[in-house]
Amino acid sequence: MDGSHLSVVVDLCPSQWHFSSLHQPYPLNLGSFFSQLLAFLNAHIASRHENSLAVFGAFPGKSVLLYSSADLSSETPSNDANSFPPFKMVDSTIMHNIVQHLDTLTQDPDEEEAPSALVGALTKSLCYINRLTLDFNASTANATEGLEPLTLSDPRILILSVSPDQTAFYIPVMNSIFSAQKLKVTIDACQIYGPETVFLQQAAHLTGGSYIYLERRDALLQYLTMAFLPPPSIRQTISVPTQDKIDFRAACFCHKNIVDVGFVCSVCLSVFCQPVPVCSTCRTKFPIKSLQRLNAARSSLPLSSASQSRNPSTPSTPQKTNGRASATPLRSETSLGPGGLPHTGSTNIKGSFQTNGAKNGLGLSR
Amino acid sequence: MLINSENIDDKNLIPITNKPHALLPFLQSQSATSLSRLYQSPSSCLSIFRLLDSVERQLAMNLLWLESAISLTTMGAWVVQDKKKVYDDALDMLSRLHILHIQSGKLSLNTTFKTSLRHAITGGGITGSFGVPAEKDEKRPPMDIEGLDGYALERWETILHFMVSSGTGQNPTRPSQGVLYLLQRSGLMSNQHGSLPQITSAGFQFLLHPPHAQLWDLLLQYLHMAEERQMDLVEVLTFFFMLSTMELGREYLTENLSQTQKAMLDDLRDYGLIWQRRASSRRFSPSRLATTLTSSSPSLPTSTGTASSLQQGFIVLETNYRVYAYTDNPLQTAVLNLFVSLKYRFPNLVVGSITRDSVRRALNNGISAEQIISYLTTHAHPQMRKFVSLSCAYFFSRLNPLIPVTVQDQIRLWELEKERLKSQEGYLYTAFASQADYEFVLAYAKQLDVVLWENSAKRCFFGSLEGHSNIRSFIERRTSGGN
Repeated sequence: MDGSHLSVVVDLCPSQWHFSSLHQPYPLNLGSFFSQLLAFLNAHIASRHENSLAVFGAFPGKSVLLYSSADLSSETPSNDANSFPPFKMVDSTIMHNIVQHLDTLTQDPDEEEAPSALVGALTKSLCYINRLTLDFNASTANATEGLEPLTLSDPRILILSVSPDQTAFYIPVMNSIFSAQKLKVTIDACQIYGPETVFLQQAAHLTGGSYIYLERRDALLQYLTMAFLPPPSIRQTISVPTQDKIDFRAACFCHKNIVDVGFVCSVCLSVFCQPVPVCSTCRTKFPIKSLQRLNAARSSLPLSSASQSRNPSTPSTPQKTNGRASATPLRSETSLGPGGLPHTGSTNIKGSFQTNGAKNGLGLSR
Repeated sequence: MLINSENIDDKNLIPITNKPHALLPFLQSQSATSLSRLYQSPSSCLSIFRLLDSVERQLAMNLLWLESAISLTTMGAWVVQDKKKVYDDALDMLSRLHILHIQSGKLSLNTTFKTSLRHAITGGGITGSFGVPAEKDEKRPPMDIEGLDGYALERWETILHFMVSSGTGQNPTRPSQGVLYLLQRSGLMSNQHGSLPQITSAGFQFLLHPPHAQLWDLLLQYLHMAEERQMDLVEVLTFFFMLSTMELGREYLTENLSQTQKAMLDDLRDYGLIWQRRASSRRFSPSRLATTLTSSSPSLPTSTGTASSLQQGFIVLETNYRVYAYTDNPLQTAVLNLFVSLKYRFPNLVVGSITRDSVRRALNNGISAEQIISYLTTHAHPQMRKFVSLSCAYFFSRLNPLIPVTVQDQIRLWELEKERLKSQEGYLYTAFASQADYEFVLAYAKQLDVVLWENSAKRCFFGSLEGHSNIRSFIERRTSGGN
């Protein structure tokens, strides 16, 4: 497989795009965004005959496959001697599908309020790449002979987002990232409008991709070309921007807030914004003593501003240690006798370390 | 198959820098004016862009949307330090193609190239360089893709088959006069022995190339020939590139083509690049050979019967030199026959073995051992790849080769064997009157360092050609002086 695969996830939240077109300086409306995006997509196809492309749209409440180079539609583009047929095909198919879906959107005003289904689109694009990998393996007759399945040569996903983080989708996003790591998919992310997103930063960092917060929205195409056009193999020669600072904060499982200091279940690594007696994920009971201790320690510490504004019951750091994760395992008196393993309890961590791919997400704080 | 990465010399793992495409050196040799004429066509720019190396492509893309020149240092800042050479090579290649201008420390794209590539990517312009598609004609539907593939395959294999069976006494279908002329001009066949052209050693090597390289070899020769025929090279190239961006299974009009390009239609029809209903037809359809010119996807459809044998490979080679080729394609059989002595033939299988005689025959034809091995490797049956998964075949090829080591080494030994005898012209000096005479002359010849062989028992020695005049005059002087 010589060509590289690119899946693009486009955030098509109408309200955010409306704000973006009014935002000063450098307003960017959907129309000029698309003319630049299509030029970028064409540049990807132009690079090699074998390059494949898929475009997913994240509309409010639903995600749609807008274009895929794998299934060729029967309708041939109109006769035009001045354009390369594949380019014409991409442009017309994408625009046609978007207009169609936006039309159905306006008929249903309820849907317009929903946040855009970025996670859905991301998941679909991962499934799509997985399918390509399976097809590719089947075609080389490798799978039948019990060999290690091959992976496509550098598949990647580019997320173009305009919405702020939807903290409710923290767990699905993290699960998508772990699947991407397993599939060896690079996730690139570009936040075109709106606040910096924590989740996309983490997605790009954990999969070895590039994250850009677009400040000069008028130079979108140049950013796309220089940072997101080169496939991972070229990035070893011509580097692309990487983040020097990554926001590693996680969202708590209970209120879906992004927390500075979280309380992590020592069994399943679920993150909570306040000490809880029972872990809602794995039903582990924590001893009342440790709860009291954590609560006492919490109130004695200065409150972090970020969580203060959002949380009625503000978490804070009960123990100060430098850098390393400081676990405070408390022995459960019910399940284990003295000297037993620190099996249950509530842990609190401070400092930033990398995830080990825990099933339920990251227990990290800053 | 776990390998300690430290054991592998790093240098051996970086031959990834592929050779540039065969056409690029030719383009570099063209003048700046003809190149900038070529760059006026968006389809040419797009095709040339695709022929470039990945780093070169990225550099061109980085500059494409910039209006002003960018300084070398700014661009260089994006390059990873230890890959500086790759970057410099890429810049060098681009500037020799006149795509890139480096002036007083500033980089910019050739304006013509920039405009055309932008047009290609965004659409628009009025150049019509992607070919004017014909309206659908209900009465005469265009040739379907299957038909086109069959046609291209038939034409192409006719050429190759003609080459491979020349001199074997068989009489395959002769390709057209134009093709024959091209084959002779390119030195793939020679016309020395009477009227029937004979395949040359370059021709034998050509047969073992992959189809893509073969096609470009011939097209390059066509370009050289076009120069001699006073054809406009830019128009010839533009037409090639136009074909490469056309869509398979679609008909195009000949009306917008120039005179030169219309004349080319005849030649390209012979090579199987395009299909026309009649020679005078005003429409033509490009075949897969044409539309894949700038890609690396297989340029020939898989031959009939043995599905996907071309891509998958069909040769099983055992350590006992036996070759099983799962093919029913007469051309593949004929090519194998170049270096394998064939034993049995079944509807879909040919069995033979690699013998000393068969390899020597190939070597005498000018085929090298490396070419035989690389042909066997590229066409190896999936079964042979079983233990070398595709992605790491590259790295493990030296450690766990596809072709049995015994066979590989033996083929190489046979090649060395050919070089065992070395002929050298010279003179044999015999019939010396006495041992003293013999030794005296021999001593003189040794001083001159021209003795190749000596035998004192028979009182003779062999001297090289260049020493003869000296030895001769020495003997004459002695005999006359003695008297």
